[in-house]
Amino acid sequence: MKPAAFEYFAPRTVEQAVDLLAQHGDQAKVLAGGQSLVPLMNMRLARPAVIVDINRVDGLEYIVAAPAVLRIGALTRQRAAERSRLVAERCPLLRDALRLVGHVQIRNRGTVAGSIAHADPAAELTAVLTALDGEVVARGPGGTRVIAASDLFVTYLTTSLDPREIITEVRFPALPPGTGWSWMEIARRHGDFALAGVGVVLALGGGVITEARIALTGVGPTPVRATSAERLLTGRAPSEGLWADAAEAVRAAVDPDGDIHASAEYRRHVAGVLVQRALCEALTRVREAA
Amino acid sequence: MALHDVRLRINGTEYTGRVEARKTLADFIREDCGLTGTHLGCEHGVCGACTILMNGEAVRSCLLFAVQADGAELMTVEGLADGDRLHPIQQAYWEHHALQCGFCTPGFLMTSLVFLRDHPHPTEREIREGLAGNLCRCTGYQNIVAAVAAAAEALASGAHPDFFPAPARPTASVEQIEATEDAVPAAHGAPADMQGDGATGAKKAGRRGARGATTPRGTARRTRKPKG
Amino acid sequence: MKLDGTNTLAAPIETVWTTLNDPEALRRCTPGLQELKEVGPDTYQATLTIGIAAVKGTYSGTLRITDKQPPRHYRIALEGSGGAGFMKGEGSVDLEPQGNGTLLRWSGDVQVGGLIAGVGQRMLGGVGKMLIGQFFKCLEQRLGSGT
Repeated sequence: MKPAAFEYFAPRTVEQAVDLLAQHGDQAKVLAGGQSLVPLMNMRLARPAVIVDINRVDGLEYIVAAPAVLRIGALTRQRAAERSRLVAERCPLLRDALRLVGHVQIRNRGTVAGSIAHADPAAELTAVLTALDGEVVARGPGGTRVIAASDLFVTYLTTSLDPREIITEVRFPALPPGTGWSWMEIARRHGDFALAGVGVVLALGGGVITEARIALTGVGPTPVRATSAERLLTGRAPSEGLWADAAEAVRAAVDPDGDIHASAEYRRHVAGVLVQRALCEALTRVREAA
Repeated sequence: MALHDVRLRINGTEYTGRVEARKTLADFIREDCGLTGTHLGCEHGVCGACTILMNGEAVRSCLLFAVQADGAELMTVEGLADGDRLHPIQQAYWEHHALQCGFCTPGFLMTSLVFLRDHPHPTEREIREGLAGNLCRCTGYQNIVAAVAAAAEALASGAHPDFFPAPARPTASVEQIEATEDAVPAAHGAPADMQGDGATGAKKAGRRGARGATTPRGTARRTRKPKG
Repeated sequence: MKLDGTNTLAAPIETVWTTLNDPEALRRCTPGLQELKEVGPDTYQATLTIGIAAVKGTYSGTLRITDKQPPRHYRIALEGSGGAGFMKGEGSVDLEPQGNGTLLRWSGDVQVGGLIAGVGQRMLGGVGKMLIGQFFKCLEQRLGSGT
């Protein structure tokens, strides 16, 4: 359980990191938190010839609250974001999801950006980014570009990032005042990958739902935005019956894989149950905020 | 493959070595520094037997390369006891029979230490959640939970002012990397596209991460050359 | 695990059959195929590097085509092993004319074992289906373009 040999670089600037990636192409892998990559390397399921360790790059560890968006630098650890007052105030959905990412030891090293770049089909942060229509800033040999969440996740463990690009910043839109939210997931043990997870955002106005966002993880190769359920909810008054309808719409919209941990039918069923519970909790928070 | 120099501190003592990049921190601690209290259970980040503190936070040393810890302040299980005097956490584990084979115990002790630092008055549920990243095959966890609860009481009693030795104290806080609107965070170089780089005149505090630990001043530390 | 899929190819059934039996076409649509050597009638030795994102493994083994009923049907049996694990599978490919083109149906049963199966269990079925789907999609594009 020892990794294969590799060439190691620890650049001090983003430019140096990008140059190294451009030089080595698909022989190189970026090392940030390492909580997903190093296990694969230790088991020799991944054998990158070159490691570009970005942990010593200056200026990438920050949590900046701009008026409508939370900007999180690429090296910000999951644990820091989890404990951040700014995240709790501006984007509590992110905070709640962060608490369920792995375990404390993983969150002490794992980065917010890294989890998003790794794109595990059962990850929490990818679903939160999707629910909020967030985006990432990527730097590569061609310069800087912004990628919307809806364009980022391609399939299992695959994003639209070029192998020579690194994420420098992740942007989560802040939740407007009066908005309710909820993150719920089911796993067999604390810290396990979710069998299904749901992030919900809800806003009410004049007694009806003015905004509904639902994103799921663990039910497909990428996070799923349940747009049909969202449309069903918008403009309607909240009720148990409405939540049940939304749950059915979600069940119809997902096509989960089955495996030894849970069957496809179970995941589909549980996804609907979580949506119902999350909508309920989100509504409670809307009312508390009022 | 190329060799890299590593210089770090474990339990207050400096160690140096020259290693391949692929050598994990766990292996460096065990083989190069001779501190075999840190154990290898799974080597893929699940079991927690390799848990140590790096710059005051619990990490899986099997998922770090030694080169990444250059300049870091580490703490391992060997840093708990003071000669023959057990640390209150070790005492609690002993008294509550929280170990049988003992293989998972060093990892649990390190996790427990910082858990109590961050949750000095934990509920049972919080203890179970806080320890969820460590696996035990022998005890069934009941006694481990009881031991941590007892250690919390020992901490609360105030009878142990050195409950958290220097390497167990956090070296950075979240506030250092937070900023609102366009203010520059004090602790780090501003991101390239932000205005006002350095304009606030804020002092640049140490960077978080492997180089972030401030060297404790005061007592002399001998540099111990690792074996081999 | 059981996998299956359907593809529509814009070429007549005989062309599709020929392409499926052409090692060169198979090579073009299987990027990780490093070696495909005929060692006997309808029997091939193959070395394939396959995976997703950073997770890649190289497998060496044998491929056998059986039950050939040109141009509509054949069965395939493969087994291979490598550092990350081993696999053994069998499947069938069925073609039928559909308008000016061909409807291709594939199905298979694959056992994967070893490290990749244990660690990658969560994604094995989905990724397997996706990779096979990519292969047939590539064929679809090549036949559609007339090459």
